[in-house]
Amino acid sequence: MSNTVTISPLTRIEGHLAVEVETEPLSADESSGCRVKSAHCAGEMFRGFEQILRGRDPLDAQQITQRICGVCPISHGIASVRAQEMAYGIKPNRNGRLLQNLIFVANYLHSHILHFYHLAALDFVDVTAILKYTGADRALKAVKAWVESAMSRQDAFPAAPFLPRFEGEYVKSDDRNVMLLAHYLEGLEMRRICDEMGAVFGARLPHSTALVPGGVTQVPTAERVLTYAARLKKIASFIESVYLPDLLEVAQEFPDYFDIGRGCGNFLCYGVFEMDESGKKFIPPGVVIEGKWEALDPRQIVEEVAHSRYAAGPARHPAEGETKPEPQRTGAYSWLKAPRYKGYPMEVGALARVAVNYLNPDDHWIKREVDAFLGPLNLPVEKLFSVLGRHVVRGLEAQWLAQQAFKWLDEIEVDVPATCEFTLPKSASGYGLTEAPRGALGHWLSIEDYQISRYQCVVPTTWNCSPRDERGRPGPVEIALEGTTLKNASQPIEVGRVVRSFDPCIACAVH
Amino acid sequence: MAQYSRRDFLRFGAVLAAGLGLGRSAAPLLAQGLQRIFERQRRILWLQGLSCSGCSVSFLNSDSPGPLEIVTQLISLVYHPNVSATQGDQALETIEKLTREGSYYLVFEGAVPQGMPAACQLKGRPMTELLPNILRRAEFVFAAGSCAAFGGIPAGEGNVTGAMGLNDYMRAIGLPVEKRLINCPGCPVHPDSLVGTLAYVAGRGYPPVHPELLTPDMAYKHSVHDDCPRFHYWQKETFAARFGDEGCLFKLGCLGPLSHTDCPKRQWNGGVNWCIRAGAPCIACTSSEFSRRRAFPFYRLGEQHHAVAYQEQDRKGDKS
Repeated sequence: MSNTVTISPLTRIEGHLAVEVETEPLSADESSGCRVKSAHCAGEMFRGFEQILRGRDPLDAQQITQRICGVCPISHGIASVRAQEMAYGIKPNRNGRLLQNLIFVANYLHSHILHFYHLAALDFVDVTAILKYTGADRALKAVKAWVESAMSRQDAFPAAPFLPRFEGEYVKSDDRNVMLLAHYLEGLEMRRICDEMGAVFGARLPHSTALVPGGVTQVPTAERVLTYAARLKKIASFIESVYLPDLLEVAQEFPDYFDIGRGCGNFLCYGVFEMDESGKKFIPPGVVIEGKWEALDPRQIVEEVAHSRYAAGPARHPAEGETKPEPQRTGAYSWLKAPRYKGYPMEVGALARVAVNYLNPDDHWIKREVDAFLGPLNLPVEKLFSVLGRHVVRGLEAQWLAQQAFKWLDEIEVDVPATCEFTLPKSASGYGLTEAPRGALGHWLSIEDYQISRYQCVVPTTWNCSPRDERGRPGPVEIALEGTTLKNASQPIEVGRVVRSFDPCIACAVH
Repeated sequence: MAQYSRRDFLRFGAVLAAGLGLGRSAAPLLAQGLQRIFERQRRILWLQGLSCSGCSVSFLNSDSPGPLEIVTQLISLVYHPNVSATQGDQALETIEKLTREGSYYLVFEGAVPQGMPAACQLKGRPMTELLPNILRRAEFVFAAGSCAAFGGIPAGEGNVTGAMGLNDYMRAIGLPVEKRLINCPGCPVHPDSLVGTLAYVAGRGYPPVHPELLTPDMAYKHSVHDDCPRFHYWQKETFAARFGDEGCLFKLGCLGPLSHTDCPKRQWNGGVNWCIRAGAPCIACTSSEFSRRRAFPFYRLGEQHHAVAYQEQDRKGDKS
């Protein structure tokens, strides 16, 4: 007998997501839990950026599209300026390219730290362990006192927002729990410092006003470089000595999560962080379909709407994309469209960036770094295709980006402006392909009579949390949930663990 | 921060009641008042409509007090979609329980899709069905960010959701706004503006506000133009011609005159930078008309091409 379990709101992600799973019992008496047979991911919020942008001055686009997401605004800003740069026929100068990369890196680092500690960690860490703390750390003692006094006052909502929570198996070791909690608190400060770092060149975060087609308005003085570097050192040290070790601490208590949430096995990466004028990227693009690598062909990208809340229509390439909402259309269950590449659902994100470059036939530094990390742990690379694998590669990527950012800082030509001149064309088109922290991101822009005539975005979580397509094939997260065991269907903590490993952002996915 | 138990407060209440000659029956009431003053932890219900979560991220950027101090000393963050441990039906029950009990502040982020209820749902129920009661039962309502205050980008011309901010929505559904709604615009809202306003209200009640916009004077009284460090360039008519130039950013599109907020004083991200200082023209993200009209873009570079070019008097846009 199958049952349906719905989690909505699925908290500790960005945005409004409802996850519905159909389950079957593991045993005849249903006492040992159940297993997910199929899953439906439904985006529950829509704004309509693609309509709002139509008829606007193209130069407004990198400001407006940043508001698609307050967690990864720079990703959208970059995709938009790349699309405009193509349309205007310009390229950033060296400083422009470097400063754009540095603002972008800061946004990546805040995002990954936020994701592991403040979004995902509460699925694993037992915060009530703080009540057993006997050490001298001031912040931890204050938190302990706060929880204790809430409980003795019999507050209606003690220790909010850390309680209430689903019951389940959390980290067992008290020391480990308290340490992870302490790092959760330290992580709050660290991600704030990342946003400061991004604002050094980006004017402010979230939503940088300094990002323009062709570069960045902030002139990089020696003081700017120094103050970015000072923060970067703190962040790099945190990643190396706190974030990465914590990932392994959690992995120690939940080794089966290296075998849960494998996903569809297809990966898409547009590449990110331009290294020079030729457009060579620090993390190169590529595609993996059913285990085989191939070069990226952007013409193969389409969005389908078979089960999405839009007017029925054929699969469309975003350069000819349309967005005609029809919220009550029969058969539609999500505000997300269903992006497909050559008809396949594709996982995107840090794992995709690693997978694509691990399997790239050209020997790549990513493969060497991943092997160097996994070797001492005796962990085969296949284990990365899992819930824990996704968290781990995010941490690794944070380390690689922090290290690379120091090099970009060194290349800056101090006091040289980071912008270039351009004129707005009467009609033109362009597209920008980049990687948000959450994965492959594209903006497609058409200009007619000096105005935006079409603007379409295909965003990472649109790929990951995609609903079924015309052929009824589910999206990557829906596939990843299949086969997951739930100990207690009324508090299905396992579902959130799988979904959160993809780092979903629904405001992005729908836009 | 003292750690008194409920029993301690009851004892204090009894002592106070006796000292004030109020009789035993007053003791529990005094105990409760004391408790509130001591903890000052106003309960917060934080919900999102048509939102990007940028205002939540900005809130987490608050420094002195930082988020930890805020949630353990200033407020009790009963529910927040991005950080709450609870999820699913348990989360919905938490929201329902708090709404039933009352005694909470609502912080709302994002716009309300008044023209398309299905554009924002919680487990299939439209936000427009859930919100009126939640708004009605809140002690105070904080619109965090321009979307929640005035509609923001989702309410831009050409939108298909009929999005509106609480300033319009509450009036549209007949809910009182006077002395209840506080609009804290900004895209995103500046963490100091939101946290400062929360602290003010928690300690002293409804703040002095702009009569129509209901924005607190403490953060939104003066225009960016009036306090701009590049004002002297404006006076000397030394204008930046290209992005990255020194000079007044007016000719690049700066909307400082339309933007009432104290960015020039506070700056952003711990004071590390802000828009004008970085050479980025102000886009008036606190304005009630922020990004509303297509014919009124952020930058002047394309101005000569637009059918309706804005006039100098639009720029002066003084709402006061």
